[in-house]
Amino acid sequence: MTENNSDVLSRSENPLGLEGVEFVEYATAQPEGLGKTLELMGFAYIARHRSRRVFLYRQGTMTIVVNADHEMLNGTDLQGDSVTLSGIAFRVADASSAYRHMVDLGAWPIPTRAGAMELNIPGVHGVGDSVIYLVDRHRDFSIFDVDFVFDTQVSSQPPALAGMHFFGLVQYVGAGRMEEWIDFYDQLLGFTPLPQGESFGILTRGSLLKSPCNQFYLQLFGPPEDVSYDIEWDESLARLGIGTPDVHAAVEQLQARGVTFEEGGLIKVTDKGALTRMFPGKVHFELVASRIGAAS
Amino acid sequence: MNLSNFSMDTVALPGDLAGKLDAVKKAGFSQIMLWAKDLANYPGGFAAAVELVTTSGLKVTGLQVIRDYEGLEGSQHDCKVDLAKATLKMCRAINAPLLIVCSTTVDLPADSATKMAQDLRKLANLAVPQGVRIGYKAVPWGSVTRSNEDAWEMVMAVDHANFSLVIDSFHLMANQTELDSLEEIDPQKIALLQLADFSATEIRTPRDKRDTSIHMRVFPGEGVHSSELAAILRRLERIGYRGDIGFLVFNDDYHQLPQEDVLEHARRSAKWVTDQVLRRSLPLRMTAKRSVA
Repeated sequence: MTENNSDVLSRSENPLGLEGVEFVEYATAQPEGLGKTLELMGFAYIARHRSRRVFLYRQGTMTIVVNADHEMLNGTDLQGDSVTLSGIAFRVADASSAYRHMVDLGAWPIPTRAGAMELNIPGVHGVGDSVIYLVDRHRDFSIFDVDFVFDTQVSSQPPALAGMHFFGLVQYVGAGRMEEWIDFYDQLLGFTPLPQGESFGILTRGSLLKSPCNQFYLQLFGPPEDVSYDIEWDESLARLGIGTPDVHAAVEQLQARGVTFEEGGLIKVTDKGALTRMFPGKVHFELVASRIGAAS
Repeated sequence: MNLSNFSMDTVALPGDLAGKLDAVKKAGFSQIMLWAKDLANYPGGFAAAVELVTTSGLKVTGLQVIRDYEGLEGSQHDCKVDLAKATLKMCRAINAPLLIVCSTTVDLPADSATKMAQDLRKLANLAVPQGVRIGYKAVPWGSVTRSNEDAWEMVMAVDHANFSLVIDSFHLMANQTELDSLEEIDPQKIALLQLADFSATEIRTPRDKRDTSIHMRVFPGEGVHSSELAAILRRLERIGYRGDIGFLVFNDDYHQLPQEDVLEHARRSAKWVTDQVLRRSLPLRMTAKRSVA
């Protein structure tokens, strides 16, 4: 799907002028460990923040921010090597107006400059402790040019393995809270549920929502209904979905780098997708057969 | 007696938060409806109040109450949103899954319905990340939304899964609501049924309704409108409502009694409510058996 497709959408269908994802943010107190995981997954370290413990990894069109900033960590219960998916930055037509629009509709603003950047990137609270950032500087120059010192020894645009690209995020929702979150994402960001029966990947439980720019998905799923005991089920972001036009080629290349995949029961590598085994910090990634961005 | 679907509202009880929690639990209730002032006024401070609630072993049905929220403009709106956000944070702190909003009593322009729905939709969105559902109820002395039918229309206008209706039996009776109107309501969109009777035979003016509502309610089965109350219960049972029932009994006299005595009224009332629903169900079951034979 190209950007031209989103350009033809009316403002009401895409009220924020969403144009894909600028970065996904993880938070951890041990960025080295997460860095190794990301490198196994084909990301390359490209830059670090001028003054904070914040690092950039990239492959192809995907940029990952690893936030280990002390000030940020003080506000969380992250300990040891635990990692949390802490934010997503959507590209929007005008960040200020998108921010005002979301707050007017009931989003919670985050305090100014509480995020990973020195720049004042507007953001609102997402699920759990996560943040939804809104970025409009992504064409002529990027937000990273101001805040980050790039490693001159490596390319700042490392290629993607097997055409991998951002596909979506998976979110846990509380019991009986599915429709509430669907309305939340519909009203604040313009995401809409896919029709029943339409799905991607190998883990299809729950509801799949499509961004108004057709470049990103949110998969919501709640606790299993068939359990009669209490399980811990905090609403939070669960994992990153990475798209690839050829799942088997991606799996092969990642296995060659040392990544292992779930291969038992219903969860195994298929043409539709694959799930990595847990990395340290309980991080895993889902591969999804996808041609998003193939024409761009 | 199974009290698991019944929630005791603290407004009927004298004393402070610690005493109310303890007494409600000892009386056999597993659910409690709290008021923000229960927490804010606790002598030990808010953090201690939260600790008390979350370690009490009682399930919190919800938190009361936001008033005069919807339809305001400019700084008045901003101020109300700030108050609502603070209340939502209180809900989250005590794991309250429901925040009750009473319809506004502020005089608003005649064409305010759209703005009111917008404001309430905003509140529904604010509540989603906090894990809280918004329950909206009409008060008969409201400026725009006065009846249960009005409130249901507003719920449909807001059109958000996180925004539902709260039905207060006192208000249905005070407004002499036609029970057929309940048939229009999707039972899945009823967040809570609040029950109370009252002793006056008739109340006419909005002021009388308000005064009776906040001073002279009695527990179901102890007032003079038992047959009307039973009809409400049976009608809601018939449309498929299977949610919680809260005893919302504002009565100044109860605040002069020991908590245990008030809770004994509540236990008797729960028995009365259960009997009303059973009386309706039994004949249906017998009919079904006969037809099979």
